[in-house]
Parts: sequence; C-alpha cells; structure tokens
Amino acid sequence: MNETLPISIARKGANVLKYLRPVLGAVILIFIIYRLIQTLLIQETYGPETWTRLVIAGMIIGSVYALIAIGYTLVYGILFMINFAHGEVMMLGAYTCFFVFEALKNIKVGADHSLAFSNAYPVISIIIAFILGMSVSALTGFLLEKVAYRPLRQAPRLVPLISAIGASIFLQNAAQLLFSPQLRDVANPQILARGSGWKILINNSSVTIPYTGVFTFLLSLILLVSLYFIVQKTKFGRAMRAVALDKKTASLMGIDVDKTISLTFLISGALAGAAGVMWGLHNSMVYYFTGFIPGIKAFTAAVLGGIGNLPGAMLGGLFLGIIESVGPAALGIDFQLKDVIAFLLLIVVLTFRPSGLLGEVLAEEKI
Amino acid sequence: MKTTNLQPIQTGFIFGAVNVFLVLIGFNAMIGSLLAKALGEQVLTALPPLQFLAAFTGLMGLWSGIAAARKHSRARIAGDVLAGLLSGLAAGAVTFVFCVGIGWLLTNKIDIRNYLTVLSFDFINGVLMRLPPLIGALANLGILAAAGAAGGLLYGFIQSSKVQQMGQQILALTRSTTEKMKRLDHGRRRLALQLVGVAMAGAAVIFLPLNWGSYWNYVAGTVGLYVILGLGLNLIVGLSGQLVLGYIAFFAIGAYTMALLNSPVPHNLMLGFWPALVLGVLLAALAGLLLGLPLMRLRGDYLAIVTLGFGEIIRILLKSDALTDFSGGPRGIQNISGPTLFGRPFNSDIDFMYLIAISVALAAFVYNRLQLSRPGRAWLSIREDETAARACGVNTTRYKLLALALGAAFAGLAGAIYASRNQFTGPEEHSLMASINVLSLIIVGGLGNIPGTILGAFALKGLPEILREFSNYRLLTFGALLVVMMLSRPAGLIPSKRPQYKIPQESEPDESHVEGKNVS
Repeated sequence: MNETLPISIARKGANVLKYLRPVLGAVILIFIIYRLIQTLLIQETYGPETWTRLVIAGMIIGSVYALIAIGYTLVYGILFMINFAHGEVMMLGAYTCFFVFEALKNIKVGADHSLAFSNAYPVISIIIAFILGMSVSALTGFLLEKVAYRPLRQAPRLVPLISAIGASIFLQNAAQLLFSPQLRDVANPQILARGSGWKILINNSSVTIPYTGVFTFLLSLILLVSLYFIVQKTKFGRAMRAVALDKKTASLMGIDVDKTISLTFLISGALAGAAGVMWGLHNSMVYYFTGFIPGIKAFTAAVLGGIGNLPGAMLGGLFLGIIESVGPAALGIDFQLKDVIAFLLLIVVLTFRPSGLLGEVLAEEKI
Repeated sequence: MKTTNLQPIQTGFIFGAVNVFLVLIGFNAMIGSLLAKALGEQVLTALPPLQFLAAFTGLMGLWSGIAAARKHSRARIAGDVLAGLLSGLAAGAVTFVFCVGIGWLLTNKIDIRNYLTVLSFDFINGVLMRLPPLIGALANLGILAAAGAAGGLLYGFIQSSKVQQMGQQILALTRSTTEKMKRLDHGRRRLALQLVGVAMAGAAVIFLPLNWGSYWNYVAGTVGLYVILGLGLNLIVGLSGQLVLGYIAFFAIGAYTMALLNSPVPHNLMLGFWPALVLGVLLAALAGLLLGLPLMRLRGDYLAIVTLGFGEIIRILLKSDALTDFSGGPRGIQNISGPTLFGRPFNSDIDFMYLIAISVALAAFVYNRLQLSRPGRAWLSIREDETAARACGVNTTRYKLLALALGAAFAGLAGAIYASRNQFTGPEEHSLMASINVLSLIIVGGLGNIPGTILGAFALKGLPEILREFSNYRLLTFGALLVVMMLSRPAGLIPSKRPQYKIPQESEPDESHVEGKNVS
C-alpha cells in the first residue's frame, strides 16, 4: 500500500539525502585534513622544492586542459552535447606537430647543408607547426560537425552522443592504421629542447622550470584571453552567445545559426589543435590514444568550472591540473592514483555543487 | 545545367578522398583478399592479386556513381549515366593526383613507411598495377570513371519503370503478408507462435553447443554474457533514461568478487562458485546503490561523465600497485576455479554455455517482467519527463536508484560468470572501451527491447569473430557504423514498441479486455 502514498515516500527519500550529503562532506573533509596534517606537519615527506616542482607541472598540464576544456564548453553551450571526439581532434593536432618537426628536421639549410631547418629558424618552425596543427584540427572539427552532428540536431540527446563516440573511435583507429600504433617522439628545436629550462635553487636543490612548459603556459593564457575577447566583444561572439541562448530567436534576428555553429567548431578545433601541438612539444608522447585521457580530463575540467561558462572552463582546467599534480603528494598516496583524485574531485564537486564551481550558464528549460 | 552538373562532381571528390583514405590504411588489400578468397583463390602474401585490387577500385567507382545518380535523380537513364560518369571522373582525378604522388615516391626510392605504414614499394606497385607511375595513375582514373558510369547506368536501370514496378509489387506483397501476420498475432495464435519460437530457440540452445566445438561455444558464450550486460544497461539507459558510461565497473565488481573468492593467489579463500556468484551480484547492486545515492540530483550528461569517472576509478584502483596485495595489480588474477554442480565440476565450454544460456533466459525473463510492471512504467515516465513524473506522484529518486541497482546486479552476474569461465580477470578487461561497447550494442540493436539487445550483441560481438580478416579494421568500421546508424536509423535495428491501447472491437470483447490490461 505504500505505493499509494508517494508524497510521504518522497519526503522520506529526501530526508535520507539531506542527512547523507553533510555526513559525506564531513567524512571527506576530515580525511583530507588528517592526511594533510600527516604529510605536511608530522612526516614532512616532501620539501618545498618538490612542492614547487609539482605546482609547476600542474600549472602546465592545467593550461593544456583549459584549452581543450574551452572546446567542450563552447560546443556544449550551443548544442548541449558532449563532443566526445574532441580529444581526438587534439590528437590530430599533436600528430601534425610531430610531422611538421619531423619534416623540418630533414630539410637541411646553411652553408654546408648540415643545419636542420627547425634548429636554424626555430621561431618560424614553431609558428608553422602551430598554424598547421591548428588548421588541421579546426578542419577536423568542422568536418566532424558537418558529417556527424549537423543532421542530428533535432534528435534525442543520446543520439548525437553516440554519434560522437563513434566518430571518436573512428578517428582513433584511422590514426592508428595510417600512422601505426607506435609511440612517437617529437623532434623539438634545440631552443625548446625538453628538459632544458631555468634552474632555481630551493633548499639547496635545483628546480627546473622547463622552457616548453613556460611557453605552453604563456601561449595558452594568450589564446584563452583572446578567445574571451572574441566571445565578449566581437560581432561573431555576440552571435555565438545569442545562438547559445536561443537558436530560434537568434535566427529571427538575422543570425545564420548553421554558420555560427560551424565557426564554433572551427574555433574549438583550433584551440584543441594548439593544445595538441603544445602536448607534442612538452610531453612528446604522440600516438593514436594521446587525445583520449586529456579529452576526458578536459571535459571533467569543463564540468568542474560549470559547463557553458568560459572563465569556468579555464579555471577548472588549471584547478584540475594543479590538484591532480599536487594531490597525491599532499594526501600521501601513490602517484599512480592521480587520475583517481581527478575523478573523485569531480564526483565530490558535483555532489555538493551540481552546477560546477563558477555555476553553469544554462537555463533549466533547455535541457 | 551547370549547377546540376556540379553536384555529382562534388560527390565524386568526396568519394575520391574516401578512396585515397581507404588505400592509405590498406583497406583495399583487405577487401581484395576477401574477394579472392570468396572466389576460391589462395592468397599467400599480404597483397592480393592485381585484379582484386582493381576490383576494389571499381567497387568504389560503382558506389560513387550510384550515390551521385541517386543524389539528384534524373528522369532519364542518360542523365544518370552522365552523373555517374562525372562523379567517377572527379573521384578518379583525386585518385590520379594521389597515384602520381606515390609514383613519385616509388621512382625516387623514398621510403616513408615510418610515417605512413602501408606505403611499402610493393604496395605502391600494386596500386599502380605494376605499370609506370603515370600510366598506372591513368588506369586508376579510367577504372573509377568507367565504374562510375556503370553505377549511374545501374541506378538508372533500377529506377526505370519496369524494374520499379516489379519492386513495388514485391513491396506490396510483403506489406500484405506482414499485415496478415499482424492480424494473426492476436490472442491464442500469438501465444502458439511464441511457444513454437521459444521451443525452437530452446532446442537450438540445447543441441548446438554439443556439436559446435569449443571455439564457437566460447564465442557464443561471450555473446550471451554481452546480452546480459546489454539487458542490464537497458534497464538503466533504455527504460529509465539515465545515461551511465561507466557501466563496466559493475561488471568488474562481479568479476573481481568471483576472482578474489575463488583464486589461490591473493587470498586463497576458495569459497566456491555459487556463494561467490550471489555475493558478486549483491555487491554490484550495492555499488550501484551507493554510487546512485549522492548523484540522483544530476541530469543526463553530468551523470554520464560522473559514472565514466567512477568506472575509471575502479579500473585504476584495480591496476594500482598500492592494492596489488589485495587485487593482484596490473597482472590480474589467474587460476580462478570453476563451478561444481552436484559434485560434478564444470570443465568444458559446453557446461558454461548451458550456464550462460540459463542466465540469459533468466535475465530476459526478469527484464520482461520489470518492463511490464509498475517500476517499468515508472521508469518510462521518468525517461520521458522527470519533472512531470514527479508531479504525477512517481518517486523518481527511488525508481532511479532501483534501476541503477538492478542494472548493476545484471552486470555483476555477467562479470562473475565471465571471470569463472575465463579463469582470469585483469584490470584492462574493464576499460572504458568495454563500457562503450555495451552502450553501442544496445543502441545499435534498438534501445529498450530484448530482441534488439540480442541482435546488437550478435552484430557487435559475434560478427567480428566470423570476419577474421577484418580484425584490424574492426574498431574503425565499428566507429563508422555507429555514426552511420545514428544518421540513418537512430532508433536501432529493431526499434522499441510501446504497448498501445487498442480501441476494443465489438466482436471480441474478451481479448480487448486483456489488451487493455497491458496498457501503460
């Protein structure tokens, strides 16, 4: 007979949840504080030089996450779909980076034809890599939307997601079959050689701030800021925001909705391509699976910051990067478990703030 | 005329690009080998005889011709042929440029196999038909153009009145027979038909495993386990509309429960199969409940990404060195003992096949009962509109939790049997790809119904085993298939039918009453 009294049951369910959440929060908080005190004050496992290293690494990877997360957030803000293949778009950018530097390494210049082009003109080479990488990825994003998502715009929400998953699997395996499953090393120009960087002394041990890392961090900051201006100040940005708010009304106001969506995919693809080139320069490991984990992490970052929210995605990316780099050390657990920390963080944030850290920019009725 | 002629050329360029891509991944060699085998010719090298490579190019041209002719159908055959020819020429032009490029590589002896793995000199030679580069490229162009025109002709012929009339007659015939079948479906005749179907399926399940050999039993067993997984996920995604991407985590919980309780290495508990099976199912259900409790406020995509995170957490934890003492670490757990029934140990694939068949039947039965009962209707209402469902007095939290726990229990069952049958389980078996496989299977088959799930499991798990040559291209095809399915048949191969209220007919009051009871 309980079934006929839904209201009382609903209340009972709500009560359970009401108590569960604070209790869960308290348990997590106590655990974190306990581990922090243990590692920081009692055991003093790591000195300040290690913490500096970890924070630097976290900021670098976080800025890459932020660039990819922007793509997720832009697309989600407009189409309300997870562009699952976005990580693969980034992977193609990383492959382009590898091929460009490989080609430029083999072009010899100089008096006796002994100097590689990428070492003789490093700035030009890097610019070429970025332009090519960004255009390849932008084109991929554009085609992806045109082939796999555009015909499904009116479909139920699961359908484009599955299509995106399919596209993601397709791109991964196409890359594997084309370029072989081998792990590739990007041939950096000498001025951005991996492992070289400014050395600072902390606690009598030297901490390297890698050039590639600084380069990555600064460039992604520049890209993020310029994107923010594009979205906020230009005519196209205004059109994009209008389409995100309401497609029908936007089209009545004379905005070409299809073109705006295509351009959004171009921009998010270009940013993912830049992230891919940076990944190639900084981490060097380029293979067909490169984009997958960063893609998922970046989506996590976008959700953390509040999806649809540009500053949220940037902040979420940096936050996630630093947390997953510092977290294992701070909590005194194995470094293998950094992904566990990233995903646990996601679960915890969504349990207590379902709209993300900065709040999503979405109206309820559109979902 | 000018604008209409541009369209086939555009189609042709797309097909040309696709052709180049397929050649670059070596797809043509694979199809060529398949063709050669189908014609009974032996293929000893990776590269099939030249005529089969040419046949692949011809097929591409044919396809492009048909597509171009169909895209803007003209009344006359000549128009179709022209469209096909134009698209074939365009595809040929793209291929020509590509062939000249690889011919240049060949004449200058530049080996770029390090970057594009397929392009060995032998392979390039094959694509150019052992002719000098320029002539070989021209030959490719010629084949594509001719095949394109042929495709246009074929399409025009099919479209022409006579053949079309025949097609319409056949269509009308099938339609009338299906109508008759539908009328037959009512009442007792339907029951009789169902009984016959079940009896035949039962006979097949009982007798086939005995005569199949262990390989096919193994494959069929895997398909069966995926049917159970698909049914479980269908409870969550298909009926209650909650998108869960980390579903394989529950499978992992079932598998690891079985493994840890029945393997000598990490703990040496040796509890026996049946208690471990029950425990695995219960633990998986509990995990579903615990995961669901804090997350019930989340909407679709958020839930998807959180469950994806949960699945990855489980996998990474199982893999990590920190838990090696407990869960065997990256190497997994070996030597899991099998079940015994009345003192008789299960030691062949036939035994497991029967066990899996019984489990599938049980899962299908439970799924069917749930679907038609009160929770099933509550889930459907939640799927359609959660707010409205709550307003109508459906306790959404409770039913969503129920769906998650029950779906997880199905996965736990499949996982426990899987671990016991393979005598091994490791963390990499429970990766995100496996979750996506299950999700794709139920969507390709048709979300929310049992025949669709079974068909999907066969299509995605059974077919790749049959097409062994295909194995390298399996995932690629699978990805492309998902996209194409969503574009052309988003409801799946067998779309779900909801029970519908039929207006009672005067003549059969009893039966209409029965029908009325089934209405949701």
